[in-house]
Amino acid sequence: MKIYNYFLILCVSVFYTSLTFAQEKEAKLSISFTKVDSVNVCKALVTSEDKPVKEVSVKLYVHRLFGLLPIGDAVSTDENGISTFNFPMDIPAESNGKLTVIAKVEDDDNYGSFETKEEVNLGVIKVATDADKNERSLSASRERAPIYFMVTSDLIIAGIWGTLIYIVFQVFKIKSISSSNKKKSQVKINN
Amino acid sequence: MENIKLTSDSHPHETFTQEEYMVMKDDLLRPIQKIGLAGKIWIGFLITVCLAGIYAYYIQETKSKYVTVSLRDYTMWGVYISNFVFFVALSLIGVLMSAVLKLTHFEWYRPLSRIAEIIAVAAIMLAGVSIVAAMGRPDRLYYLVTHGRIQSPIVWDILVILTYVTTSIILLFIPLIPSLSTCKNHLKNMPKWQMKMYEIFSFGWEGTAEQWKILKKSVRILTIMVVPLGVSIHTVTAWLFATTLRSEWDSTNFGAYFVSGAFLLGVAGMVVAVFVFRKAYNLEKYLTPMHFDKLGMALVFMSWVYIYFNINEYLVPAYKMSGLHANHLLNLFIGDEAFFYWSVILFGMGIPAILPLFPVMRKPLPLTIIAFAVVIAAWFKRYLIVIPGLVHPYLPIQDVPDSWRHYTPSLVEMTIVAATFAAMLLIVTVFSRFFPIISVWEVAEGKLEGKDEIINYK
Repeated sequence: MKIYNYFLILCVSVFYTSLTFAQEKEAKLSISFTKVDSVNVCKALVTSEDKPVKEVSVKLYVHRLFGLLPIGDAVSTDENGISTFNFPMDIPAESNGKLTVIAKVEDDDNYGSFETKEEVNLGVIKVATDADKNERSLSASRERAPIYFMVTSDLIIAGIWGTLIYIVFQVFKIKSISSSNKKKSQVKINN
Repeated sequence: MENIKLTSDSHPHETFTQEEYMVMKDDLLRPIQKIGLAGKIWIGFLITVCLAGIYAYYIQETKSKYVTVSLRDYTMWGVYISNFVFFVALSLIGVLMSAVLKLTHFEWYRPLSRIAEIIAVAAIMLAGVSIVAAMGRPDRLYYLVTHGRIQSPIVWDILVILTYVTTSIILLFIPLIPSLSTCKNHLKNMPKWQMKMYEIFSFGWEGTAEQWKILKKSVRILTIMVVPLGVSIHTVTAWLFATTLRSEWDSTNFGAYFVSGAFLLGVAGMVVAVFVFRKAYNLEKYLTPMHFDKLGMALVFMSWVYIYFNINEYLVPAYKMSGLHANHLLNLFIGDEAFFYWSVILFGMGIPAILPLFPVMRKPLPLTIIAFAVVIAAWFKRYLIVIPGLVHPYLPIQDVPDSWRHYTPSLVEMTIVAATFAAMLLIVTVFSRFFPIISVWEVAEGKLEGKDEIINYK
C-alpha cells in the first residue's frame, strides 16, 4: 500500500511541475535610451515570442559599488510592451566613465524573473583631483594636519614633557648634592 | 642619618621632635617588616586571578575572536572599554586626593596622599592594559605610533595616558625619597636586594636644607601640573565617545559628565582604600574617623555634582524624546535595562547623596559600605554608558545576525576584566609591602605646623 502512495505523490508532483513550467512562458527584456526635451528617457521593451507583452512590472536599477540603486518605482508595460522611465542626469559614472543600467522583471505570474543589463554613457564623470587631498584639515592624513593644530599640540607636549624631564634632573641634583657633600667632608678629613 | 630632620635653617617651623618621629616611623614601617598569613593568601589569590587573565588573553589572541569574545559590528566596544573608562576615572583619585586638597590647603590630605597616588598609578596602568585587550591585536599599538594622526582622539588618548602614567609615577616617587631613606636606615632583617633597592632609590638623601628645597619645589610643580593633566585625560576619554556616531553620545556635556563621575568614584575608592589599610595595617592613629567624616562630606558633594550632570545627560534628551534617543532612553528607563539602570542611579548616586548627610553614616564602617556600593555602581555605570548606546546605531538595523543586536560579555572577556582588577589590587598591595603607605615626613611636617586636624580630630 505504501509504495502506491509514493508512486501517487511522485506522479502528482511531476504533473504539477510540468504544469507550472508550462505556465511560465519565456520573455525578453531590452532597453533603449532617447532624449526627449533634454530629459533622458529609458524605454524597456518586454517581448515574448517576438510579440510585445503588456502589464508586466519592470524595475530599473543602476549598478553601484555595494548594490543596485533603484531608479524610481516599478513601471508596468503599456500596450506596446514598453515601460518608460525618466532617467536622472546626475548619477556619477563608474571608473570607466559609464553606467551599468539593469532592467528587471521580478516574479511575474506568467513569465517569472528575467533581466537585462547595458552599459551606457550617461553618467557624470567626476574627476578626483589631488587638490582636495593636499588641503590641510582635521580630517586629512597625518602629514596634512593643520599647521596651527600641529604647533599647538607640539607646544603642549613639549611643555609637559619638558617639565617632567626637568623634574627628573632635579632628582639627580638631590643625589649630586649629597655625593658632593661626601666628597667635601672626605677632603676635610684628609686635611 | 639616624636623625632625619627637616632642618630648621630653611623653614624654621618644619621640624619635629625625635621622639614623635620614632613612634611614627615604627608604626608606618611595621607593615613592611612582616607579612602575615592573610596577606600571603591575599597576594596568592590575586596572582592566580592575574594568571587566569593572561591565559584568557592567550586564548583570545590565538583563537577566532568571533568565538572568544562577544564583540560584533554594532557593539564593537564591550566590557573592555567600559573597564577602561572605569580605570581612567579611578586614576583621577590622585588628582583629587593629593593635588586638589594639597593646593587648597586642606591639611587632612597628608596621610592620604600616597594611598591615592599608588591607586592612581595602578589604575592608569590597567586602563592602558584594557585598551590593548580591546584592540584585539597588540601590534596595533605600534601602528598607532607609526600611522596615527595627531588630529585623532585615539592618539591623544594614548599620549595623555602615557603622560599621566609618567607624571603619576614621578609624583609618587619624589615624596617617597625621604621615606626610602628611613627604610634604608631603620628596617632590619630584610633581604639584601630590598635594602639595595632602598639604597639606590633614596638618591643619597640626607635631609639637607638644599635637598628639601629641591624636593618641595619639584613636588609643587608636579602637583600643579597633574590637575590639568588629570582633567584632560578623562575629558579626552569622553571625547572618544562624543566624536563617535551614536545618538546617546551626541553630547556637549560629556567631558564634564565624565570628570564629575570620576571625582565621585575617586572619593568612594579612597574611602574603601583607607578603611582597608586602616584595618589591615593597624593605622587607626593616622587614618582617623575624621578622615571618614571629611570623605563622607566630599562623597555627598560629588554625588550632587554628578546628579546634576546626569540630569543634563538623560532628562533633557528625555524631554524631547526624539526618534533615536527615545529608542535608547526608553530601553534604559522602562525597557530591558531598566532594573540595571535604576539600581546604578540608586546605589551610585542616590544613596551617597543622602545618607552621609547624617553624621552616623560618616563613621568608618557605614561609610565604607556606602562607598563600596558606589564603586560597584560606578563600574556598571560605565557599562551602561558604553553598551546600550552601541546597540542603537544610527543606521537602521536590517538583516543582521541576531548576535549583533545584543551583547553579553563572554567568559574570556570577563576573565580578563577580573584579572585587570586583580592586577590593580596586586600593584597596590605589593607597593604597600615594600614602601610605607603613609608619608612619614608629610604627616610629621603637618603635625608640627600646628595643624592638629591631621592626626587629632576634635
